Amino acid sequence: MPASAASSNLSNDGDPMSGDTTCETCVKRRDLLSTGVGAMALAGAAAAAVPVIDSLAPNPDDVAVTTLDIDLHDLAPGTQRVVAWAGKPILVVHRTPQQLAILQSPALFDRLRDPQSKVLQQGAYAANWHRSIDPAFLVVVGICTHLGCVPRFDPQTDGNGWLCPCHNSHFDLSGRVLKGSPAPYNLPVPPYAVVKPGTLRLGENPAGSSFSLADIVQI
Amino acid sequence: MKPVLLAAFAALLPGVTLAAPIREEGAARRGLAVYHQVCSVCHSLSHVEIGDLAGLGLSDRQLRDLAADIQVAGPPGPDGTPTTRAANLSDRLLSHFPDEASARAANNGALPPDLSEIARTRQGGAHRIFTLLTGYTDPPKGVSVPDGQFYNAATHTHLIAMPPPLADGAVTYDDGTNPTLAQEAHDAAAFLAWSADPHRSARHWLGGVTIAFLAVLAGLVFALKRRVWSRV
Amino acid sequence: MTPATRLDLDPDQAPEPATGSWLERRLPVGRALRREYRDYPLPRNLNALWFFGAFAVVTLAAMIVTGICLALHYTPTEAGAFDSVEAIIRRVPSGWILRSVHMAGASCFFAVLYVHIFRGLYYGSYKAPREVLWLSGFVALLMVMATAFFGYVLPWGQMSYWGAVVVGNAVAAIPLIGHPLAGMLLGGDAPGAATPMRFFVLHMLCGGLICAVLFIHIAALHVTGSNNPAGIEPRSPADTLPMHPFYTTKDGVGLCLFLAVLLGLAFLAPALLTEADNYLPANPLLTPPDITPEWYFTPFYALLRSVPSRLGGLLLAGAALAVVAAVPWLDRAPTRSARFRPLARPAWFAMAASFLLLGLAGSHEATGFWLWLGRLAGLYWFLHFLVLLPLIARIERPLPLPTSLA
Repeated sequence: MPASAASSNLSNDGDPMSGDTTCETCVKRRDLLSTGVGAMALAGAAAAAVPVIDSLAPNPDDVAVTTLDIDLHDLAPGTQRVVAWAGKPILVVHRTPQQLAILQSPALFDRLRDPQSKVLQQGAYAANWHRSIDPAFLVVVGICTHLGCVPRFDPQTDGNGWLCPCHNSHFDLSGRVLKGSPAPYNLPVPPYAVVKPGTLRLGENPAGSSFSLADIVQI
Repeated sequence: MKPVLLAAFAALLPGVTLAAPIREEGAARRGLAVYHQVCSVCHSLSHVEIGDLAGLGLSDRQLRDLAADIQVAGPPGPDGTPTTRAANLSDRLLSHFPDEASARAANNGALPPDLSEIARTRQGGAHRIFTLLTGYTDPPKGVSVPDGQFYNAATHTHLIAMPPPLADGAVTYDDGTNPTLAQEAHDAAAFLAWSADPHRSARHWLGGVTIAFLAVLAGLVFALKRRVWSRV
Repeated sequence: MTPATRLDLDPDQAPEPATGSWLERRLPVGRALRREYRDYPLPRNLNALWFFGAFAVVTLAAMIVTGICLALHYTPTEAGAFDSVEAIIRRVPSGWILRSVHMAGASCFFAVLYVHIFRGLYYGSYKAPREVLWLSGFVALLMVMATAFFGYVLPWGQMSYWGAVVVGNAVAAIPLIGHPLAGMLLGGDAPGAATPMRFFVLHMLCGGLICAVLFIHIAALHVTGSNNPAGIEPRSPADTLPMHPFYTTKDGVGLCLFLAVLLGLAFLAPALLTEADNYLPANPLLTPPDITPEWYFTPFYALLRSVPSRLGGLLLAGAALAVVAAVPWLDRAPTRSARFRPLARPAWFAMAASFLLLGLAGSHEATGFWLWLGRLAGLYWFLHFLVLLPLIARIERPLPLPTSLA
């Protein structure tokens, strides 16, 4: 059975799908039947792909984001505490008066990318120089806005607060990113409220304001 | 060969119309009330998450109300004591007994089985559940029922360790249905049938649609094949 | 038949001119595919029984796609396996569709392979020069059996667990290496903590190996070309037709009907192919009342228990497969197709019936009638391959063969 000859007996008359071997103009034309079969088979294959793709969808995170209370009494000045909330590392820092003074210095402002917290990385109640409700206590989401590593707490006398171990992004003690860092935005401030002196509640806003993690430009 | 294939194909079609067992959404929804108010005292439905009940046609609001009504084990308290919290949609309908031993201890040594797949794993399925739930009678004369056992005509030995769970008025229905024993048993059976086969109606619909689609496609391809082969 | 001329690498063949698209000039894969799948010459007289090879390829593809999606949601641990399958059925998006198709696909795979194999036995597709084609197909069957078994254990229900127990003990019956082998397979004396992960890996591994063996099988097919119902080689171009559009349309009709059966089973009659007991979590303290394997293993299960010896049963089941592999050398008759073999033809029907009876016997309790039916059917199976086939080849006078397929 010579291979070259095998297909020659029937393939010399144009479109093999066409039953009409005399019509010259039919050579390139796909007729209704074969087009219909092709389209239907394609549609069937597409329909079969639906459950496959459907099953790969990410799990809906149906655990309602609950609130978490943080007791600040045993958080010593100048130290940081890391808590997990909504599946994210939340950094809580008790800033000393000296540190707060540096945070207001114009020299520091010049080194910051967004000193006034204009980008929506926080609720309106934290869009101030200390990026918090009570100046002494800062709450930020510990996820570098560059590529998502957790910045290392490394307070310096010049106001630097965090250094991201991945690509050396620097943040000041208000979580504001320093110029020259690869990170584009300040660290996000999660929604929180002061329920009573010395106790913060994550996941709740102060009365009259509304803000949620979903509002943050980049987290 | 072709007739055989066609016969096999045709033999499958009646499957679509196979007599439906006890099964309808309203009944299954009421059955959830029976489960929640009565069965769940002893029986778990451990493979069903509260969110899964959306398949019965419950709204998100109804699901959250139900979840708020169910207490599950919470994180240990500040001093390490066990706590409970209101359930959320991803919590399962677990047993209220912490372990098998305490479940047996509370039930005369019998372990209340998990109900997730019971309508599938017990012969007779939903119908048997119905007859069992309505099968409690007084023992006939001369038959003695041991302590901790109950007379039930629907079991092989006519004895069962489960006390009669349902009675007229044992359940409150919020759709106004009269909670007779038979109604409750029917609804509970419908609910458990749903639990064992939660996608039944979607499955049948999909089966019908795919077969119809393939039948049409087969017809078209056959016509094409006839035309192509007419030349040889 | 000069198969070598179809290979690109044949040094005698003048290099084809570098034409076509940029890619085609560097990697002539389009040309190779056209030659091997579009213009590939097939005997013009193939009947519907030749559909089943294509069915098997399509089923394998469906099994791999659904299997990968299921694997992404499966937890291969003793504690998590059953739960994860329940989660797949109940709340993984479209998970129930994928699992239904995967389960029905397993059964259909065997049905298709059995038809494919018995077709080969009827039309003598195993005879020279197709012995390697036959053997590669046999290896593929073994891989499918292994994959099916490993996969069946994964849901970790009662049937899964006790199936693993029975097979573990059967393996342990092999002299010398049996015990360590069963231990390595199960990861313990009995199925336990290590088993789901091992079987999960083996299931995926064997699934991949099926693809590799299938590739060899198809490569071997394209060297010798397809056999056909007449069992004679095509002699002239008029005896063959190009695969496209002739067999693409013909197989297409069959494929639509086959998929309707597969999806019909999956969506309308899933209970037909599953044991309800497998929806009870594995319980090492309680054997289910009647444990029977899936229908596709019942013929071999019948042989496994037909003799009162563990090793004997295992050897019988293995030998029942081995005689199929050896059939090219057991049946030396020059005529391929049973159409022209007045003795081999009825013998084939009797052999096929014995296989069905073995399956029937294997799905019933091994007592009295069913035990003896299994024994007799098994005896006939071996009689057919070891005695009748060699004997018929000597004494049979075949009918005159046609001279062309046209």
